[in-house]
Amino acid sequence: METTIKKTTQSALPLHQSTRKMSVKNTLIYAVLIIFSVINVYPIIWMIINSFKSEKEFAVNQFGLPKTLVIDNYIEAWGTANLGVLFKNSIFICLLATVLTVLIGALASYFLARIEFKFKNALYTFFIFGMLIPIHATLVPMFILLKNLGLLNNPITLLFPYIAFHLPITIFILTSFMKAFPKDIEESAIIDGCGIFRIFWSIILPMSRPALATVIILNFIYNWNEFSFALVLLNDPALQTLPLGLASFAGQFTVNYGAQMAGLTMSMIPIIIFYLFLEKEIVNGMTAGAVKG
Amino acid sequence: MQLTGKSKAALIIGLLPAFLIYTVFAIYPIIQSFYYSFMEWDGFSEMEFIGLQNFENLFQDSLFWNSVGNNIFVVIASVFGQIPIALFIALLLNRKIKGLKIFRTIGFLPVVLSTVVISLTWSLIYNTKDGMINEILRAVGLDFLAQNWLGDTKWSMVAVCITVIWQFVGLYLIIFLAALQNIPEEVKEAAKIDGASEWMTTWKITIPMIWDTIIVAIILCISGSLRTFDLIYVMTHGGPSHSTDVMALYMFNETFSNLKYGYGSAISVFIFFFSLLLIGFVKKILGQKFI
Repeated sequence: METTIKKTTQSALPLHQSTRKMSVKNTLIYAVLIIFSVINVYPIIWMIINSFKSEKEFAVNQFGLPKTLVIDNYIEAWGTANLGVLFKNSIFICLLATVLTVLIGALASYFLARIEFKFKNALYTFFIFGMLIPIHATLVPMFILLKNLGLLNNPITLLFPYIAFHLPITIFILTSFMKAFPKDIEESAIIDGCGIFRIFWSIILPMSRPALATVIILNFIYNWNEFSFALVLLNDPALQTLPLGLASFAGQFTVNYGAQMAGLTMSMIPIIIFYLFLEKEIVNGMTAGAVKG
Repeated sequence: MQLTGKSKAALIIGLLPAFLIYTVFAIYPIIQSFYYSFMEWDGFSEMEFIGLQNFENLFQDSLFWNSVGNNIFVVIASVFGQIPIALFIALLLNRKIKGLKIFRTIGFLPVVLSTVVISLTWSLIYNTKDGMINEILRAVGLDFLAQNWLGDTKWSMVAVCITVIWQFVGLYLIIFLAALQNIPEEVKEAAKIDGASEWMTTWKITIPMIWDTIIVAIILCISGSLRTFDLIYVMTHGGPSHSTDVMALYMFNETFSNLKYGYGSAISVFIFFFSLLLIGFVKKILGQKFI
């Protein structure tokens, strides 16, 4: 409102004409934004709504709301796709990989950011180089390596590539954050007789909380959505993660759209809730991850 | 902080876990793929050293070059689709607007969803019989435009690219919006007082001021779309008749379906250098520091 007034007083046009011009423009802007939002969100809403319709209703009425809520699709999807197992596997691997990556990465970042030693910069560059490796170029050798180590089709198989490929961005974000702390933080701690790991655990780590939140979210979402390594390294259905299980489930059910949509909806809901609650942190984490990566 | 003799051990304990796991599971596989690329190997029997034979075959493999071409198509579609749309919407949002938060939340939503979920959803949307797009076309009387979007070689690549664009517009939108909101108010006020129209201000002031961010976004967009694999694997598996095949997918099929581990490794090596060189090259032209 403030800008409208300012603009109209400065402009030579009569007041009413100028405000009308402004409001036409604003309407246009809103129209474009609303169209953009509809395109962005409607595919998801379309799927959620249709997941509650019977096969017959979907065929004749796919744009309206369901006449009766059919939950058969959900029962079928949960049973056939083994969603319970998929959820359990995904949560297990995501949590473990995220905790380990952030712990190992934070420890390394502490030394890289706060301590002087030979080859420090070379080592840092070596880690950061990992952000440039196209992961698909490593699928074949990773498969052979894990096969030789006897680690294929194991509940912890995915930990190895997940940790290895997310350490670079984790170290990058944490190191640049830790570097910014004033130099004398450790000195007083040393005078108090604190050991080097004690300083890490009780001073540096708590101070890094915002950056830790970023890398935890980043790791969790990357791991939760990851597909390629899971596809190549796991073929035991009992070990599959959610994305992998969904992809093979959809393959079996090319005809039963209802069950497919129900399965997709169930897998999507947790991440959407997570997103709505932690939007700021997630957006910051993912854009930082992208821009810096 | 300087280290005393005793804490050298601490240094090793602190860095070793990260160094080991990163070297063994990220760096070593790259080196291994160089080694395997000189071999003929089906994954089970003895490996046989064949020198550069795999690479010679690769350069004459028209299906491989087809996948490189498709990959470049995805990159171009992403850059010319995602960046302009994201920038346009960000410019519209960069004003005192009601509901900014909601537009932003909706804009970013697809970015957090898994590629598999997005691919499966869009496969349903493109479905010939009951898909959303064909239903809309039939509803407005444009039946003749209804297509087998993913099953027709004419349309498959376009359909896949639209999904790729849809998936990541939100990421660049947020990146641009953040950059726009960093421009000090006074700059825009000054332009307004000088009588510059909004159009002029956008072109002459706003865009030049976020130019660095635009370049970063373009580079991101190239390296991201170069890595397209999951989406196409799920939506079309490279078909119909290789019309949506990309490098990583072709490598995957050659290795795990045709059991040509050596040949697949040669493709891996190619992808590795191709990605590094392309990104290095683009950074060079656009004048950005490598890494």
